[in-house]
Amino acid sequence: MARREVPLGLLYSVTGTYGAIGRDAQDGAMLALEEINSNSDSPVVFRVFSEDPGGNIDAYHRICETMLRRQGCQHVVGTITSLARKEVIPIIEKHDALLWYILPYEGFEACENVIYTGAAPNQHLLPMFAHLLPTYGKRVYLTGSNYVWGWEVNRIARELIQAVNGDVLGERYLAFDDTDVGRMIAEIEQKRPDFILNNLIGTSSYAFLQAYHELGLRDPDFLPEKRPVTSCDLTECELADIGTDAARGHLCSSVYFEAVDNPLNHAFRAKLTEKYGAERPLSAFLVGGYAAIHMLAQAIAESGTDDIEPVKEALFSRTFDTAMGPIKIDPKTNHAALTPYLGRINEHLGFDIVLAEDAPVPADPYLVEFDAHEFAATVAAKRRGSAASHLKVVK
Amino acid sequence: MSPFHTPQFRGRKALILHRHGDATRRLTRQLERLGMSVECHWPDFPSGGESTDVIFFDADNGFDGLFPWQPGTAPMPLIALLGSELPSRLEWALAQGTSAHIVKPVQSSGVFSALVIGFANFARSNEVQDTIAGLQGRLASRAAVVRAVVRLTQASKVDEDTAFACIRSAAMDKRITVEDYCERLDKTRLAELVHRLLRTTSANQPDVPGKSWFSE
Repeated sequence: MARREVPLGLLYSVTGTYGAIGRDAQDGAMLALEEINSNSDSPVVFRVFSEDPGGNIDAYHRICETMLRRQGCQHVVGTITSLARKEVIPIIEKHDALLWYILPYEGFEACENVIYTGAAPNQHLLPMFAHLLPTYGKRVYLTGSNYVWGWEVNRIARELIQAVNGDVLGERYLAFDDTDVGRMIAEIEQKRPDFILNNLIGTSSYAFLQAYHELGLRDPDFLPEKRPVTSCDLTECELADIGTDAARGHLCSSVYFEAVDNPLNHAFRAKLTEKYGAERPLSAFLVGGYAAIHMLAQAIAESGTDDIEPVKEALFSRTFDTAMGPIKIDPKTNHAALTPYLGRINEHLGFDIVLAEDAPVPADPYLVEFDAHEFAATVAAKRRGSAASHLKVVK
Repeated sequence: MSPFHTPQFRGRKALILHRHGDATRRLTRQLERLGMSVECHWPDFPSGGESTDVIFFDADNGFDGLFPWQPGTAPMPLIALLGSELPSRLEWALAQGTSAHIVKPVQSSGVFSALVIGFANFARSNEVQDTIAGLQGRLASRAAVVRAVVRLTQASKVDEDTAFACIRSAAMDKRITVEDYCERLDKTRLAELVHRLLRTTSANQPDVPGKSWFSE
């Protein structure tokens, strides 16, 4: 059987501020690419073009254009930040190619030329806040890195907090790579929020968690059991950079944790151990990169072409079993239905799953289904303990 | 800090006035993603179209009489779909009272922001129109106010500022505007004002402190 050779762009910053995330996404993708290319039964063989923008926003457009124009790629898997995604979308649209975006993001986008397999706010922030507000309280401090992710996620958080008549005690931002977290910590110490939403990324986030840990050592009122730091984009791959002491006990929302119990996840753990050793943690990005490549390969195999319209049709027509659980792409939004989890960081730099949705939740990128009164009622009911939240308690 | 609420278009009705094709297909898809119901018509304005919540219209081929109302008086936000940037076409689109625009080819990005900006501009424009109408009414009543002040100064021998302060105070008591009060100033009311002045000037206190109307 003649195998179809398909050019594919891999566009991840594996160095720079958020290099740890890029390395996981890229390694996950590469693992799948090696499996597919070495499998002589696969009707597809990928010719991979990979280049590292190094977290430099000005490099994305040029690299992406080279992939599309010179190397003939119709599919590009990549970008970590929304800034980078927005940077390449115009050129992806111009060439009518398809971008595979696997990260959680802030929503309010449904581009015909993007497949979104990461979580939208109704799959990360909303289920997390539906648990945090009744459990820890309604006085919240918001932080973030100075770009669209933090701005928009914090704006949605403000809306949720206002819906339950809570208080935003502060909202502060740091530039990329800025580790001067003293002012935030001082403000938190003074205002004593019930919990903190951390939308800082990379080194800023690590510095913040380390400084918060020191605050907790000085004053046990700031231990994670009492006032946790919570986030929607922190995964296993960054915990070592934060350190066990500073990371332990804090909470994160994700559509995947290594602790997710299903046979495909166990099999994926075995594959990764064989390639990188047992010490390498899994993460939503490793699993997400791996799953995206397999979904693409299967869609190309089924449609017999890498043209994006037939590939999208093949993609929309079925459910994919992955280590994250079943994934279905909604043709209405190009977004994946995903299962939200809430995890607590444990002393082994992994997550214990605290809460899990019963079933995959369809993405609602424009929050069309959001209803502030309904949200407030859910939170109030949970607070009274009279009705169970739609999230079931795992542990 | 008060949050900017997530703009919500669920359940709203959109009318697209554009010939069927890629533009209407993409626009419809994006509007349906936002929870809206959509109808497409061209070139005839459909019956019942007046009750739609927002209209997207083809600014390249739009013509006088496309809308069943006078230009600039649309009862809902109008969003122009622009391919051509010819000044003649922009002039026509502006004359309709366009609240926002989308550049063709229509893509999935740009529709949401055009809706948000279009609805906000439309609401703001209505507020401004209401304010202007109110101010114009007051301006038209200015002659009545002047007449009332003059009558009161002649009847009571006080200066204009004192007369105006007295009229304003009386209008406030009746919870109507100064202009409305002056429009209805008859002999009985004038007598009441003179009496009121006698009371207050005997106490040697203007009854309403504040800015003088004549020195405004």
